[in-house]
Amino acid sequence: MNAFLYGVALQWKLDIRSKSLLITCYIVPLLFFIIMGGIYTSIMPESKYTLIQSMTVMGVSMGALIGLPPSLVEIYGSDIKKVYKSNGVPLYLGLVSMFLSAFIHLLIMCAVIYIIAPIAFDATPPSNLPLYFGSLVIFIAVSLSIGSVLGLLIKNQAKLTMISQLVFLPSIMLSGIMFSIDLLPKILEFAGKIFPATWGYKLLIDNNFHFNNFLPLLVIFLTATILCSFLLKKLQSE
Amino acid sequence: MSYAIQINNLKKSYGNNDVLKGLNFNVIKGEIFALLGVNGAGKTTTLECIENLRKYDSGSIVVNGKMGIQLQSSSLPAHIKPMEAVRLFAKWNKAKIDQSMLIALGIKELEKKRYVEMSMGQKRRLHLVLALISDPDIVFLDEPTAGLDVEGRISLHNQIRKLKAQGKTIILASHDMAEVESLCDRIAIINDGEIVFLDTVAELTAKISRHYTIHIKTSQGNQNFESHNIGETMLTLLEDFKQRNITVLDIKIDRGSLEQHFIKIARGNNE
Repeated sequence: MNAFLYGVALQWKLDIRSKSLLITCYIVPLLFFIIMGGIYTSIMPESKYTLIQSMTVMGVSMGALIGLPPSLVEIYGSDIKKVYKSNGVPLYLGLVSMFLSAFIHLLIMCAVIYIIAPIAFDATPPSNLPLYFGSLVIFIAVSLSIGSVLGLLIKNQAKLTMISQLVFLPSIMLSGIMFSIDLLPKILEFAGKIFPATWGYKLLIDNNFHFNNFLPLLVIFLTATILCSFLLKKLQSE
Repeated sequence: MSYAIQINNLKKSYGNNDVLKGLNFNVIKGEIFALLGVNGAGKTTTLECIENLRKYDSGSIVVNGKMGIQLQSSSLPAHIKPMEAVRLFAKWNKAKIDQSMLIALGIKELEKKRYVEMSMGQKRRLHLVLALISDPDIVFLDEPTAGLDVEGRISLHNQIRKLKAQGKTIILASHDMAEVESLCDRIAIINDGEIVFLDTVAELTAKISRHYTIHIKTSQGNQNFESHNIGETMLTLLEDFKQRNITVLDIKIDRGSLEQHFIKIARGNNE
């Protein structure tokens, strides 16, 4: 196995050993799904048509915005960075391997929701499966790119926890997964469009691909990628 | 003479604070070279500039060979196991894992431990292995024995001697003067961003052997005297006491330790 693949596979193993990532990528999102799935479908039976998508958006946002950044700080905000840098391990490895590992964990978590929701809550699965999973891949990647920026930008764990919550909570509240964004004041509706969750949810519930929903995600992803490259370069020269 | 490292007029400042004020020194290929200094002297900044971990303002650094670096403060992901780290670093350096080194440094027996569960000494040994994994020509060891027990120290010292025997150049930063005395060929002492002593360990030891403190207990109290010529000073002192009718009760001659001499030089108090 070459060095890069070994690094990614090792990160995957480390994430399984790390309880914090398991909590944010599996336990909390799936518990939320089980509790809210029961409540939603009981008080609003029509929510079964969007339950899979809304719980998926919630889970992905939690894993990407709350779960990934602290793991990145463990590398880039500590002496691990120096050890890598001084002994031939490229600095980007930490970011890329964590991104890919978290991507796979979140995809598994979403697959669990996709399989269990129809059985447990009579949820309606998306009609266009390839489009749904294609959209999901895009949404996970974009959400993780935001998490990556947070993890590279903020080196203090306490500060990071606070800022991650500041991004995560409005992202969920204003995305339309809990209540329709039409009910929100215009300013909040506009604010919600800054976050990938809003566009990701739109992309996931649509049965046809709409470029207008994809474009903002692409812009967010490219902006985040440029920012990550810049932050990595800065870390390299520090 | 061929050099592993050549430092010429190296300067570095943090804001208005000049940390390195034009350092000049060379490290000869194959030697064990100690870089010493009290905290804040500029030792770590110098090492980090050479290791390419820190930018410097002016001057030049020439490094002739591949570097392996064991940092003073090192860390790895909390849940990584030693052999996983070794494999990761070996793969990135396209290096073969030296099994005998793993056995010698006791890494094999740690196979099931996670980094977070390892003791300070075990972590130090692992970081030494990671520094050596690419078979470097020049090895930087920053406080390599800090936190190690006696057995660990002996094992590490043997490993360092083995590396020297293999022709590797070793740059050692340490506070342990006994370690420096037993391992190193030459010493550079940095004080306030400048080299204040650069010579062989033998020369530093010779300086100590020329310096004595004489403690004399007499019928009139205790007195201390400094001397560079013990025989002559003692004769003069005893003659003087005799003439003044002072009874000498006890005499103690202190040669001073390498540590004491290092502190004197490192604090700019070198006679």
